[in-house]
Amino acid sequence: MSTATIQDSSRARRSRGGSAPRPPVGAAPLERSRRRMFWAFTAPAVLVYFVLFLVPVGYAAWTSLYKWDGIGPKKWKGLKNYQTLWQDPTFRHSLTNTLKILVVGGVLTFAFAFALMLILREMNRKLFARSVLFFPCLVNAMVFGIAAGILFSPTGPVDKILEALGWSHPPQWLATQHLSTMILGTLIWTATGYYSAILMAAVDQIPEYLYEAAELDGANAFQRFRHVTLPMCWDVISVCAVLWTVSSVKIFELILMYGGSSGSQPPAGSWNTAMYVYTEAFPTASTPQLGLATAAALVSLFMVIIFTVVLRRLLRRDPIEY
Amino acid sequence: MTPRRKARSLPMRIATGVVWVVVAADIVLVGWILLTSLRSGTDILNHPFGVPTHPKFSNYSKVFSDGGFGQAALNSVLVAVLSSVLAVAVAAPCAYALARRRNRVSGAMSMTFAMGLGVPGQVMVVPLFIGMAKVNLDDSQPGLILVYLGLAMPFTVYLLTGFFSGIPQVLEEAAVLDGAGAVRTFTRVILPVARGGLVTAFLLQFISAWNETLFAIVLTHSQDKVTLPVALSDFVQEAQLNGLDWGAMFAGVCVVLAPMIALFSWLGSRIIQGMTVGIGK
Amino acid sequence: MGSSTGRGPRLLAIATAAVLAVGVSACSSSKSSSASGGSGKSGGSFTYWSMWRQDEPQAKVIQAAITQFTADTGIKVDVQWTGRDVAKKIGPAMAAGKAPDMWDEGEDVVYGAAAQNGNAKDLSAVLDMTIPNDNEKVSDAIPSKYWDSLPKDPSGGQHWIVPYEASTAGIFYNTADPGVSAAMASQPATWDDFINVCQALKAKNEPCLASEGEDSWTNGLWFDYLLNAAGVNFNDLASDKTGAAWDNPAVLKAAQQVEQLVKGGYIIPTYTQTKYPAQQTNWAGGKAGFLMNGNWVTAEVAKQIPSTWKYGFMLPPGATQPDSMIFGFALTKNAKHVSQAEQFMAYFLQKKTLSGISTQADNITPRTDIPAPPELATVQKTLDAPKLRLTFDGVAGDWTTKVWNQNYLDFWHGQIDAATFISKMKSAQVSFWKSQS
Repeated sequence: MSTATIQDSSRARRSRGGSAPRPPVGAAPLERSRRRMFWAFTAPAVLVYFVLFLVPVGYAAWTSLYKWDGIGPKKWKGLKNYQTLWQDPTFRHSLTNTLKILVVGGVLTFAFAFALMLILREMNRKLFARSVLFFPCLVNAMVFGIAAGILFSPTGPVDKILEALGWSHPPQWLATQHLSTMILGTLIWTATGYYSAILMAAVDQIPEYLYEAAELDGANAFQRFRHVTLPMCWDVISVCAVLWTVSSVKIFELILMYGGSSGSQPPAGSWNTAMYVYTEAFPTASTPQLGLATAAALVSLFMVIIFTVVLRRLLRRDPIEY
Repeated sequence: MTPRRKARSLPMRIATGVVWVVVAADIVLVGWILLTSLRSGTDILNHPFGVPTHPKFSNYSKVFSDGGFGQAALNSVLVAVLSSVLAVAVAAPCAYALARRRNRVSGAMSMTFAMGLGVPGQVMVVPLFIGMAKVNLDDSQPGLILVYLGLAMPFTVYLLTGFFSGIPQVLEEAAVLDGAGAVRTFTRVILPVARGGLVTAFLLQFISAWNETLFAIVLTHSQDKVTLPVALSDFVQEAQLNGLDWGAMFAGVCVVLAPMIALFSWLGSRIIQGMTVGIGK
Repeated sequence: MGSSTGRGPRLLAIATAAVLAVGVSACSSSKSSSASGGSGKSGGSFTYWSMWRQDEPQAKVIQAAITQFTADTGIKVDVQWTGRDVAKKIGPAMAAGKAPDMWDEGEDVVYGAAAQNGNAKDLSAVLDMTIPNDNEKVSDAIPSKYWDSLPKDPSGGQHWIVPYEASTAGIFYNTADPGVSAAMASQPATWDDFINVCQALKAKNEPCLASEGEDSWTNGLWFDYLLNAAGVNFNDLASDKTGAAWDNPAVLKAAQQVEQLVKGGYIIPTYTQTKYPAQQTNWAGGKAGFLMNGNWVTAEVAKQIPSTWKYGFMLPPGATQPDSMIFGFALTKNAKHVSQAEQFMAYFLQKKTLSGISTQADNITPRTDIPAPPELATVQKTLDAPKLRLTFDGVAGDWTTKVWNQNYLDFWHGQIDAATFISKMKSAQVSFWKSQS
């Protein structure tokens, strides 16, 4: 999970709103030199971003309107590729899986992350525990896919431990019908530590006097959580929701490794849209469908956009100043 | 941080116990992966929970020489370090300019960068493959570095803008009054102060480049060009006609995993801080 | 970067220069290698992407041949050991104009990724070439049945691959296993006989079959062979856009026979719960009687089997033709160094060179005068059949990933019964072909 590459636009929004501090009027020379240097400073990043990021996105949108095997000439299809996707049961299934990871995985991850955050705050040696639980999100998910092949085998460590604890018929972890669930579980496990660390950082910034005041007013633990903790880190929660949306849509290596261990593609029942894009564009033993692949990729982009807009609407609250 | 005076309730004690069990399980898992990498494939399949009585270091020599993990590890280091250094070098001046100059242009620019954060990688995979091939940079480290550089822009600019915004303006005002130009102010006054932020940005970019798999699989294929995730996935794919050696497989896993463990033990708090506080700002 | 943070622009300049330098050197090195190849003593050079990784035995055999070939002819071979991913890379590479002259893969991949769209060059010229030292024509050294079984490219040709490794699939077992020999006096002649063998093993608490439950390919071979026994062509079945072919009672019967294996409890009990190669390892350890797989399995388990092990091999009873999979060289549509690559193909088929596939890589070659490794002797005899049939009658590619894999695995795991399997395959196939049009 490359959690490090997702962000939200709250800062950008806020800064555009003009609420940011303007330089003092007296600093005119500073202002002038800044204006001059603005373009020189931003040009390299803007250029890199434009050529290596925005142009490819545009090219993807353009390619998605054609039928193209990459070799022959492009054939205009208009929006037909999107129609084809809709008719393809495999894509519909991939889309469902993506949504399942996004919604079910998201709700569970946040529930766990919140609980974990609350528990961690009360614990001794909480920094150590937080670090350990945080670590999995820094590991390439392929590692877990590979390790699971032994860990969860019928004679593997997990079943051995469960047996010792008296559970003689543990689930068939690695059976293909459980693949999606296992992938979801692994994902939640790696993400919980990360999101609880974010929440913890936010909660740590809540001034202690607010809790003390609430306590003096006779608020119990739940009321303190409901009326102090939750509102105070609402902003961060909404950022996390957006963060999760993007990162969950682009999961790839986890599925690739969990499902396919002997060289073949993972069974189609476990695909998400990222996997679908990959197999359409880089198939084994068939013609690449670049138009269809980019159309599928754009569908996942639309999904992120819709979710982001809706989530930000839903989670919008007046910022609390303190 | 928040010393609680009250005695802990029973549910809280149970919950704390559960968390410690999970923490312990995580540590055991990593330890188990490390130990398993020293055992033979057949042994692992027959006795998955065993301890290597005769550590099989040949697993490592096998992945390093035969599996090409040695070259792949070098490539991973090269690609991750260079792309991260470049990303920070390119993004820092831009982030600084965006943090200091607040008007419609910079606002729109920040917004455009931020929007990039919402684009899942699979959107760009086909175009970047075709584009890199057009300019002869497919299956090459410079090509991969460029791709990672582009992918890093939104996040790095966003993160660094936050850091630069947090630096008091008085510093520059003093420098300008002393007659320093904008470049000089930036390099001599701002960068030293923002060093922590730059290192954090580098670290986070390094981690995501180290683990990146989709673009690496698509863009590189020759054995002397691939990075570690590709080598690992190839190692699994090879199995179909020549058998899979789980021992060597786990050794390969450890080559991917170990640097992250080392980095995290060394700079863990900084990484956590960058990935949490930096996000929530 | 710590000490250089104070000098941003200089750092940036250095880094940029470094990247440019790396880029330039990468470009120039690739140019210089092809240029020096061009100035070689006689024949120039060609590029080759291999399906093998450098450490695999086949790669070692090919590498040795390349070295000798360059010494003999002066033709340089610019080889990249790409591995199995070459299947996914070759199409996009041809698209980008970056494809090599020559590549190799299984015939299903070469056809699916290139030949079916006319993106593989016709190699009929190679068949007429004389193999160096052996002084016989390629078409005399390699039986024509290997080409006759291949599907046709758009121009009607079948010569889009030059095979160097032949293989088949079937049921492998250890004749020295007392359980197996007690249950099976002679190889069963009918499917019911085979089920009886399984029953006898089951009665003794020994699982009849080992199976990697997650693998739709090896497990699908049962259905493939049973269809063949019933006289149904798998390819016709899969390419029927109406799906009506699935209503054939013979298809249902084949599915029911597969179901006998699943429902009869003859498969090793943990098969759905493991990952490759757990069950293959169990089989090699004597924990199950039979294993259905391609003949490369003998090389895969070579280090695991006891010294007393003696290979037995048979096709599922009733199957009339053995499966054939060939691995061979192909040329991409826009290959520039055709004659050099074709020379190498003929060169590699020399008896002494090609023998390495058998002696070092432990596999079978398409040349009948090269003996297979001892453990594959009976398998090679199967390949002596006058007519061969492609595995799954040549079905591969998208249909396999989108229609077949998941449904067959559900069936093989006992999630759905034979009738449900048939109806699911039928409807999935109909929507598949609709989305393809």
